Amino acid sequence: MFHQTALKSVTLVILLLGLGAYVQTGGYYGRELVIEACILAMLALSVDVVAGYGGMISMCHGALLGAAAYAFAAMTALLGWPPSLSFVIAIVASTLLATAIGAVSSRTQGIFFIMATLAFGQMVYVMIFDAPMLGGDDGMAGVKRLNLDLVGINFKKSAPFAFACIALLALSYGLAALMLRSGFGRTLSGVKANEDRLRALGVRVWWVKARAFGFSGLLAGIAGVMAAQHTQFVSPELLLWTLSGEALVVVILGGLGTLVGPLVGAIALVFVKHEISSVTHYWHLFIGIALILTVLAGGRGLYGQFEYVVTRARRRRAKDHA
Amino acid sequence: MLDVRHLNKRFGSLAVTQDVNLSVARGERRLILGPNGAGKTTLFNLLVGELASDSGEIHLDGERVDRLGVDARARLGLARSYQKNNLFDALSVAENLALAVTAARGLSSNPWRDTHRDASVQEDVERVAAQVGLEARLHHTVSDTAYGERRQLEVGMALASGPKLLMMDEPTSGVGPAMIDGFRQLLQSLPTDLTILIVEHDMDFALDLADRITVLNYGEVVFEGTPSEARESALVREIYLGADDA
Ligand SMILES: Nc1ncnc2c1ncn2[C@@H]1O[C@H](COP(=O)(O)OP(=O)(O)OP(=O)(O)O)[C@@H](O)[C@H]1O
Ligand SMILES: [Mg+2]
Repeated sequence: MFHQTALKSVTLVILLLGLGAYVQTGGYYGRELVIEACILAMLALSVDVVAGYGGMISMCHGALLGAAAYAFAAMTALLGWPPSLSFVIAIVASTLLATAIGAVSSRTQGIFFIMATLAFGQMVYVMIFDAPMLGGDDGMAGVKRLNLDLVGINFKKSAPFAFACIALLALSYGLAALMLRSGFGRTLSGVKANEDRLRALGVRVWWVKARAFGFSGLLAGIAGVMAAQHTQFVSPELLLWTLSGEALVVVILGGLGTLVGPLVGAIALVFVKHEISSVTHYWHLFIGIALILTVLAGGRGLYGQFEYVVTRARRRRAKDHA
Repeated sequence: MLDVRHLNKRFGSLAVTQDVNLSVARGERRLILGPNGAGKTTLFNLLVGELASDSGEIHLDGERVDRLGVDARARLGLARSYQKNNLFDALSVAENLALAVTAARGLSSNPWRDTHRDASVQEDVERVAAQVGLEARLHHTVSDTAYGERRQLEVGMALASGPKLLMMDEPTSGVGPAMIDGFRQLLQSLPTDLTILIVEHDMDFALDLADRITVLNYGEVVFEGTPSEARESALVREIYLGADDA
């Protein structure tokens, strides 16, 4: 079950402050990296909620992100709707879409669940790709950013936008933590541990899964809307299943079922990718090796391993005192 | 309150439940006896819906339930404990019981509040823990507890869901005499309007507590009667004692 431990809180605060400091000191390129890391972290966080706490490995979260990005793009660029309204509608849409996907996929188990989510993700891809007014292969330009002139923030500049991404990442984490420690979140952990037993206790397991999926779609939707605003351009690449795969890799690298891990993984991936890709084109190889090492080392991930070591040391010290 | 009519179940060519009829009154304590492999656990699985029957009907309080899912039947008041421990091993005893209590009270889907900490939930958790003798183990992780304690929790989980019909599958299998005594006291302390189906191998223990007894053999009901009738019955003695290797 989820507990917002002191270790989690401290790590979270350090990460967010670190990102904030980098926005101030890292220059334009640094801000771009921070934005990229925050968006990937939000997506990974949403994947961890279902995979790490609900035992549902999803291969459609890229498509959920992409769907929200496209919805936001279509409303602001094609329909000329205000970005704030479009923001809300886009994340409501991704929430509902995710709930529906979760409701159907939850009728399956294990590998079939993964395949079902993959199939739904591909359906979303095809539907958006084939819709003529959404630009097909070319994508869609002219996406608007939120207009915060009223409160004196120029969102077109990269620093305020980067700070907004950090704030939304913090908000997403807070929402996820709140949900996971609620009665519903506890039930979700129970579903992961032993869903048959919960069913025998009277829990509608499929509906728990569907709602958890929907909540996770909300977080992926926030990431999607920020992604669309970031480049002010959307393309079918946002919907590719490989993005879902990348999110899973990030979660595993950082620590599945730790909630802080996905942030660690996303930040590490974005910055390491940046460093290595300036030296060699084979950065995928390094990520691959890191992933294999993580799995061989017990699969706890960067943050997961850290948490494990700290908790063990603390327990040992308590034992010595006793 | 429970009415089973012409229930059948086969696994391939093996008939594990054959034309079983069973009528249990409210508040009755019904003992199910039978040798290993007689189909006792299968009958429980059919009643709660973990297995689908091939034919026949199950009625609970006049409502037909055999086409309902496991969770829907549980919400109607059917709860069971398992012959093989079926718990949340990574969670504490208290967390296990709280999952059962919140599910039974419709508090398991609240996304805002930690309903496990509700005073009323905690109260129920502690009450059930005391009933099954686990009050001192509440905060131990299940995987760190002894086998016997897990058997107690297994019964606690079923109790915590506040059932109308409590079904226990060999609750005392593999535990020592002290625990069997505790269990006897627990059964006597349960409300008299709670209907109980219990599968038990320990014949003396079970005969004491039962109002009526049903004996299964090769999936068939071969005897039904009171404990004293069962003691008198040559058939029961032959089947049960003859095949009893427990
Ligand atoms: N899922 C299954 N598939 C095939 N055969 C099964 C299955 N479950 C049970 N059986 C068989 O059905 C018969 C009845 O099994 P069941 O577990 O109901 O017996 P039981 O009366 O509970 O026995 P015990 O006293 O050993 O617990 C056995 O022969 C068993 O091997
Ligand atoms: Mg059995």
